[in-house]
Amino acid sequence: MNPLDMLLTLSALLFTLGLIAVLTRRNAILVLIGIELMLNAANLNFIAFWRYGPPDTAGPMFVVFSIAIAAAEAAVGLAIILMAFRHTRSTDLDKLNSLHG
Amino acid sequence: MKGMALIEGPWWSLELLPRLPQRMVEGILSLLGLPDGLVHFTGLLVAAGTVTGVFLGLFALLSLIERKVLARIQNRIGPNRAGWFGILQPVADGIKMLTKEDIVPAKAEWFLHLLAPVMIVLPSILALSVIPIGREWTPVSLELGLLLFFAVGALTELSVFIAGWASGSKFPMLGALRAIAQMVSYELPLILSALGVVMVTGSLSLPDIVRHQGDWHLGFIPAWNLFTPWGLVGGIVFFIAAIAEANRCPFDLPEGESEIVAGHMTEYSGFKYALFFIGEYLGLFAISSLGVTLFLGGWQAPLPWLGFIPSWCWFFGKLALVIFLFLWIRGTYPRVRIDQLMRFAWFCLIPIALLTLPAAALWHYTGRGWLGWLVSLPLFFVPWLILTMVFNKRLAGTRRTYRFAES
Amino acid sequence: MIPVLILSATILAAAAGAVWLARPVHAALLLALTLALNAVLYLVLGAHFVGLVQFMVYVGAVAVLIVFSLMITRTTDEVAEVAGRRGRFLLGLICALPVMAVLSAMRMGAGPVSIGPSPSGPSLKETGQTLFTSHAPAVLAVAVLLTAVMIGAALLAREDKPEPGKPE
Repeated sequence: MNPLDMLLTLSALLFTLGLIAVLTRRNAILVLIGIELMLNAANLNFIAFWRYGPPDTAGPMFVVFSIAIAAAEAAVGLAIILMAFRHTRSTDLDKLNSLHG
Repeated sequence: MKGMALIEGPWWSLELLPRLPQRMVEGILSLLGLPDGLVHFTGLLVAAGTVTGVFLGLFALLSLIERKVLARIQNRIGPNRAGWFGILQPVADGIKMLTKEDIVPAKAEWFLHLLAPVMIVLPSILALSVIPIGREWTPVSLELGLLLFFAVGALTELSVFIAGWASGSKFPMLGALRAIAQMVSYELPLILSALGVVMVTGSLSLPDIVRHQGDWHLGFIPAWNLFTPWGLVGGIVFFIAAIAEANRCPFDLPEGESEIVAGHMTEYSGFKYALFFIGEYLGLFAISSLGVTLFLGGWQAPLPWLGFIPSWCWFFGKLALVIFLFLWIRGTYPRVRIDQLMRFAWFCLIPIALLTLPAAALWHYTGRGWLGWLVSLPLFFVPWLILTMVFNKRLAGTRRTYRFAES
Repeated sequence: MIPVLILSATILAAAAGAVWLARPVHAALLLALTLALNAVLYLVLGAHFVGLVQFMVYVGAVAVLIVFSLMITRTTDEVAEVAGRRGRFLLGLICALPVMAVLSAMRMGAGPVSIGPSPSGPSLKETGQTLFTSHAPAVLAVAVLLTAVMIGAALLAREDKPEPGKPE
């Protein structure tokens, strides 16, 4: 198995693990952890192709932007979760199932 | 390891004294006929050990000097029992710390409780490895040295949280939350004021930044970054943010004894507490060294004809000056409240730190001379004036009025 | 190859722990470990700038943010996380397996790939120049985005208190 395939398998498995976290977790912040894992897996893909694929310089560039955007999205997501927590005193996603306050 | 500084000159010159242990070990090992890679690796280990050993020795000295200086500021003497002028006090402290019982609370997670002190010392030592201590002595000379410094600073925040949470009780948790909030808030002015330096130098590599400051204007004014308009303001902002990052008074709310016992270090005893101490002081050394490198010219001598004194002497001298400033401020100012702390960071330091960037650009494009000073100083002065007026008006309602008793 | 192999195994183990563990803080700390190991992987693969940025932003900011908000939103109700975990994870696995299958099929359908030479990586000066000349619109867009996010998050998380009047 060449190194590229190994890294691609790793990133696919990380993505799947993140997806499982998003689907099964009941605490909203743990869902966010899954989302971060998925973003990380995509970044790993970029770097793997930059390192082992055809010569190209766009890999690290894209990852830098992706990291910035992931941080921004984590901040907003956590702010929303904090607001919802203040409203319902719980981060359980099963309890946040109605728009009515 | 690529990038180690070249060793030139005779081995007995003072300039190369820090390299002596490494060269001796490498020489002995290659005489014994060991393979080249192993010799090189052992040489690197010795180099790392030298830096760590020097700074741990300085830590021991600082723990005594701090108490003496604080004592003198407070009109008392300080430790003078253990040895002549208390010089053996660090030894006594070390023996005490090593022989104390190691208590782990029942509700604590023992693995994280054990890991946290180690995780706090580690980033400080890593950060010390990129600092150019002398002309021939940069332990690890990276193209991205400054970025590594800030990256390992980020690791410290996580370790503080682990220390606080793993102790399993309220005071450490509260202290850890406050410490993280403080560190995250003050990391911004720290990085922003360092960005001005990077912009003018054009490189993230710390040895390059030091070499860039190696000139002398008019023959006697050194071209250090502190003597430029943006560098003056940036240096002061960096210094204040460094006090907050190192959790020193007046920003030592996370570990103030009268507030929350010892903050995130409450449930630690014995050598783990000593490790926290070491981590804090080594972090202080790391950030002061970075300040010296970025703004005070690193190992550059202040006057061209003073170049016969080895460069690392100048570095340690400047480091001693900055650390003395830290101690002086600690002994002088009272502690600030957490909300005052955050306000100061977000409403005062960050705007000023942001202003260093256009000021540096203006200074650079108007020729880096007196015209540069003339143009960039108003850039700071006007917003500072506006900020001061706004804050004075806001705080006017909460200003204390004193009523003294009529005698 | 060997360091990459060892790193990959530990990354997977840490990520699996982050997904599986019931205690939220343990999961968050394992996420921090995963992100840190990922940064080390980037460094080993030669993307130095990206590796250090990943360390500084993800481990230093995102992970700290996550543990901070876990502490703020802590309740005594941790039973909810534990109840019925096995069933949920099984269902999650069944739902996630097709995604894995699709990704594998995409890779296998692409055929053999020639491993290019190890790239020398853009030097810092080239990175800076590319970022601010050809990628300048992207940098500006990210700057606007980050400003909007900062203002938005501060507004969202602000407590709705009435304006404090002048104290007596």
